[in-house]
Amino acid sequence: MQKSKRVTRRQFLKGSVGAAAVFTIVPRHVLGGSGQTPPSEKFGGALIGCGGRGNGTFGGLGPNVEKLAICDVKFVKHADNKKVYRDFRRVLERKDIDVVAIATPPHWHALISIAAMEAGKDVLCEKPMTRFIAEGRAVAEAEKRYNRIFQIGTFGRFGRSKNQGDILTHKIMKSGLLKPCKAVHIKRGGLKVREWSGMVNAQPKPIPDSLDWDMYCGPSPLRPFHPHRFGGTHRGYWDYEGGGLTDMGQHHFDPVQWTFAKDDTSPVEIEAFAPPAHPEACGMWGYVELKYADGFTIVMDSTEWPENKKPSYNRKESRGVSLSDLSEEDQKKIKEMPDPEPLVGFPEAIRTRKQAGGHAAASTRCVTLMHLANIAIRTGRKIHYDPVKEEIIGDEEANRLVNQPMRAPWHL
Amino acid sequence: MNEQTSALVALVNKMPDPDQRGMYCADIDKEKIEGAIAKILKGGRDNIIGVIDMLVEPGKGDDVKAHYALHCMALHVCKLKNDRPRRRFSRTLASQLGGDRPKEVQKYLVRELQIAGGKEVVKALGALLVDEELCEPAAQALAAIGDGAAEQFHSALSKASGKCRLTIMQNLGVVRDVKSADALKKAVSDEDGAVRIAAVWALANIGDADSANVLVRAADQAEGWERTQTTKACLLLAEKLRAAGRKSEAVRIYRHLRDTRSDPAERYVRDAAKIGLAASD
Repeated sequence: MQKSKRVTRRQFLKGSVGAAAVFTIVPRHVLGGSGQTPPSEKFGGALIGCGGRGNGTFGGLGPNVEKLAICDVKFVKHADNKKVYRDFRRVLERKDIDVVAIATPPHWHALISIAAMEAGKDVLCEKPMTRFIAEGRAVAEAEKRYNRIFQIGTFGRFGRSKNQGDILTHKIMKSGLLKPCKAVHIKRGGLKVREWSGMVNAQPKPIPDSLDWDMYCGPSPLRPFHPHRFGGTHRGYWDYEGGGLTDMGQHHFDPVQWTFAKDDTSPVEIEAFAPPAHPEACGMWGYVELKYADGFTIVMDSTEWPENKKPSYNRKESRGVSLSDLSEEDQKKIKEMPDPEPLVGFPEAIRTRKQAGGHAAASTRCVTLMHLANIAIRTGRKIHYDPVKEEIIGDEEANRLVNQPMRAPWHL
Repeated sequence: MNEQTSALVALVNKMPDPDQRGMYCADIDKEKIEGAIAKILKGGRDNIIGVIDMLVEPGKGDDVKAHYALHCMALHVCKLKNDRPRRRFSRTLASQLGGDRPKEVQKYLVRELQIAGGKEVVKALGALLVDEELCEPAAQALAAIGDGAAEQFHSALSKASGKCRLTIMQNLGVVRDVKSADALKKAVSDEDGAVRIAAVWALANIGDADSANVLVRAADQAEGWERTQTTKACLLLAEKLRAAGRKSEAVRIYRHLRDTRSDPAERYVRDAAKIGLAASD
């Protein structure tokens, strides 16, 4: 079988491609536009972050993407800056790379997503989308500014968008006719609280020779090295993620957000039941209640704290919405509403330049749910949130967790 | 150990023990923790310093409970309606900065000030901006506090070097310090690429209209990573100018990018400029 062969833009423009064109990957800009699809419908791809989720995330780019570069801060010893890199900035300088899969720890997700779009690449980013709320808005702004494709690495909403029951709920909620909305979505368990907690007594260890620890910490505080802060267990530290809640939440709540038509807004009241949080290590919490302006409520119940007690949350019952919640006149309006447009998957989006179903503006609203929940857990206070300004109201100290300063040279 | 110290140690000992994995995932008693913290804080400044005295450098002993207790104290004072206990707490922490305490302990105090501090501690934090080990956490705390931070960054810039200078420069952009625009413009031609990038971004984020030519020239001359970053700064400045009603200046930047990015690989930049131009109509 003939191997794929890449050519430079210059070679292509000189007409040296010849008969091999069918098997040749040509960067899509070569044919005169970022909106163009190369003749082979092949794209050059890079994987940034080669840990446990790396290859799975890269696979989400679709079958027409060839892996031209891999990058990880643990490649100090064998980076060649041709195929293997330790610094993502060098990868993004390559003109033959069209799409990037990002599977680093989450404290790098937003910055690399933004940088990739600034370099003209499309992005598939592993969940959770961000480490704090303001990062998500910055990614959405970059997506819009550069007209790039962004897809978050969770796909539950694609199934929901084809289910008739979910479509009906989506239309009822989208219509705004249900006021107040009494729907309650309760997620009990599955949030891996204990599993993805951090150590509170970790003692410094020598940094492995193969690891660029400074680059790993990146925008987050430069801490003494400990292996538990690295390699999957990073999930248990506020510096890099937000515990099992943030890690699993985007899977659980992104489909709910689509069904209840909340892609363009966020809850306004958030209250948590939890012990005082540790400053660095994620730990135990009981439940969090998040209420939207129209009354729709999400309850996150860890079922893991307090121990040896009945489920800690029993104040509300799950409740959906149905046509019977509306007047006959309003029911008729819903029936006349067109179904929502089908969601576009990433491989189709990069080919057609249509917005992906899990685009940045929607994905940031979803990950904001987990960030708001964690802010309520971390501050121990009821939070009031302005979903338009994307700020916490009347609590300056809590608001500091919405947009967290970064270590130079990294910034939003 | 005197009576007050032993009482404080007893209260700090009410904080949870780590479980077998070294985590706070077992026997976490919210009421017990919060009750002990309230009692510690009733002891005022002496107790706050007493807890700080229990902190050690990482790897130099066990301060797990004191470390957690100090953070719980920060959370507690932020919950109170009355702002005085918060100010007293943060002033006490700030009074322990800059002295002989280990730098890692001071870093922790600064991070707690990022949570609970206000304008009352910006001067103490500003004094750390020229300290190689403390400038990063101090800058982050100042940026989080916001109120009064710009003056600290501005006055520290000329005294700082290396990492501290880069940190300050970036944060002058974060706090949008108009007064620093001239100094930032000089840094656009610095020999250090990271400083150049920080300076052009800071000028763009400030929305300094007089920097337009400087930024455009920097973007035109740069290559690779620096080129995408300085181009981003141009687009950001144009957006800031457009939002401020200075459309003709924004249009000039957009037109320049549209007309000069002729390499097919930069087609997306031309497209971004066209989007900006359309929005400026």
